[in-house]
Amino acid sequence: MATSLKRAKGLWLLLIPMLLWIGLLFVLPHVKLFMLSFMDRRTGAFTLANYAAFFNKSLYTKVFIRTVVFSIFTTLLTLAISFPAAFIITKVLGQKMKGVVLMAIILPYWISELIQAFTWMVLFRETGVISYLLQRLGIIDHGIEFLYHNYTIAIGLVYTSLLFMIIPIMNSLDTLDDSLIEAAYDLGGDFWSTMREIIIPHAGPGIMVGSIMVFMLNLGNYVTVTLLGGKNSLWFTEAIYNQFIVRFNQNQGAAFGVILLTFSVIFVWIVLKITKQDLTEAM
Amino acid sequence: MSQEIDVSLVHVTKKFGDLTAVNDVSFDIPKGSFFSVLGPSGSGKTTILRMIAGFETPTSGDIYIGGERVNDVPPNKRRCNMVFQRLALFPMMNVLDNVTFGLRRRGGLSKEEMNRMAEDALARVGLKGLGQRKINQLSGGQQQRVALARSLVLDPTVLLLDEPLGSLDLKLRQAMKLELKHLQARMGTTFVYITHDQTIALAMSDTIAVINHGKIEQIAAPEELYRRPATHFVASFVGENNKLRSGRVTRLVDDHICETDFGGIPMLGRAGDPVRPGDEVDLFIRPEMITLRPGKHEGGILGKISEINFDGSHSLIVVDLLESNRPLSLNVKLQHTEEAPEVEVGDIVTLSWRWDAANAFYPVDQSHIEKEA
Repeated sequence: MATSLKRAKGLWLLLIPMLLWIGLLFVLPHVKLFMLSFMDRRTGAFTLANYAAFFNKSLYTKVFIRTVVFSIFTTLLTLAISFPAAFIITKVLGQKMKGVVLMAIILPYWISELIQAFTWMVLFRETGVISYLLQRLGIIDHGIEFLYHNYTIAIGLVYTSLLFMIIPIMNSLDTLDDSLIEAAYDLGGDFWSTMREIIIPHAGPGIMVGSIMVFMLNLGNYVTVTLLGGKNSLWFTEAIYNQFIVRFNQNQGAAFGVILLTFSVIFVWIVLKITKQDLTEAM
Repeated sequence: MSQEIDVSLVHVTKKFGDLTAVNDVSFDIPKGSFFSVLGPSGSGKTTILRMIAGFETPTSGDIYIGGERVNDVPPNKRRCNMVFQRLALFPMMNVLDNVTFGLRRRGGLSKEEMNRMAEDALARVGLKGLGQRKINQLSGGQQQRVALARSLVLDPTVLLLDEPLGSLDLKLRQAMKLELKHLQARMGTTFVYITHDQTIALAMSDTIAVINHGKIEQIAAPEELYRRPATHFVASFVGENNKLRSGRVTRLVDDHICETDFGGIPMLGRAGDPVRPGDEVDLFIRPEMITLRPGKHEGGILGKISEINFDGSHSLIVVDLLESNRPLSLNVKLQHTEEAPEVEVGDIVTLSWRWDAANAFYPVDQSHIEKEA
């Protein structure tokens, strides 16, 4: 079957729609972006000024570093929350409960990120639900603004990316033979040593895939960050947006875009190298 | 050897909801012996093993290992280790790390000591120098040995084996069977082996417990089990057997021997159940214990060969009985020795056997018999 399919001429034609999509909507714009980033805003001549601006203005580098560190932090937080959940769903719950819990996790993702962010604003703002409840309970005596803090951004980012961490980890834990866990116990292992030596190494590829996806989602997030963080969010995507839309400086925005993209690729590559994971294997 | 008891089950029962997987099972396993639990799938044998290992808790009854009651001792604190059916080697570690896993959990040993002990254990199972290999670089037989070494390095009081040879091909299984027996004899560790394969159990064990529907049918040495099965189930499950259905006991020769009537032919047999004249019985006769003589002779049962199945060292010959008033046939295993008579399909032959080659039992409800000879 496979070989006869391979021999069928013109099978690659079926790839054309996808290649068109990627070519027209991904490769082409990025080539354009790349070119723009090396052009002078007025003359269009070759220049490195756009990149120099990034490294010279400490605001941009600071925002960039803040975005990266914050993204790493929220990714780790997401991992810390997702791993036990994924473990319990795959290894502890019965078939029926598994479905219920999984549905409860997936259901919120049927709502768009934008709507989710708006609902949180209803919850978190000074006149919002949480503030109101705390006042009624007598815990605080006047309204508190929960929006526009780092922790609000973190809560939002973790929430929007939970699913993308839980699913790959669940997939990898599903393939872990329960008898390996029993064998570890039988040989004298306890909870932590079995976790450390058997379960986490086995789930490694899933953890890796989840972490990469979540990190990228966080790094490139715009909606949740701006709505929950407001002016204080200082997210790098916001800087790019400002260059393009507010200042009409496409070239500067393009340079920022290229910097973000290049950094992400190198960062992921380094992490994969350090953890000795193979992306094709992990995926 | 003194009769020190390593493992002891006292009236152990295990229920899963409405299902009684293990029903009032008691036995003692002497130190240093090779003990097998033999039964068809679903008989409860794996549950027994998992209770000894500590992965299941008995609903009632007590389990003792080395004299200590272990009902409430978790698996990682018991002095017994298990070789899993699918081996459960850790694929994320190399062979050496697999073997040292248990040692590392114990603590108090230097890395050099642990590695030396692991190398020793690997050498004992014939895997010297393969410590750095990855698990998926090993053959099925080698993986088997790693699983053994990983447990044996901990010097357990009892080694539990959950049918680990089941996944191997025939030749390798036979080789590993002997090797396992030699290893056990050399180390003197008590082995508890779970299997549905009676050839493995008969070949390796000092003692076999036959279990069916969660209940012990018989506990005996292999030869005893084979020659003098205690129940109808053991007679039909262990070894090949001819089974003649629904005969009558005509008289008792003495306490042990009864004369039965099958289709009008008188046959002697050992009384497996306390039968009395007039009782309905089934008669089991070992095919290799039947003597076959060509032609018509006095003092035997006359038959005609209807089928000959060549099987290498012997032939299985199907003989239809000529003098019975209902269709009856017996399988006879004829060894290909020099004295073996030459026979062909259609030949008239005379069959005979000693009374103790046959065992008579009350018939049991057919729906309860899962495996027939």
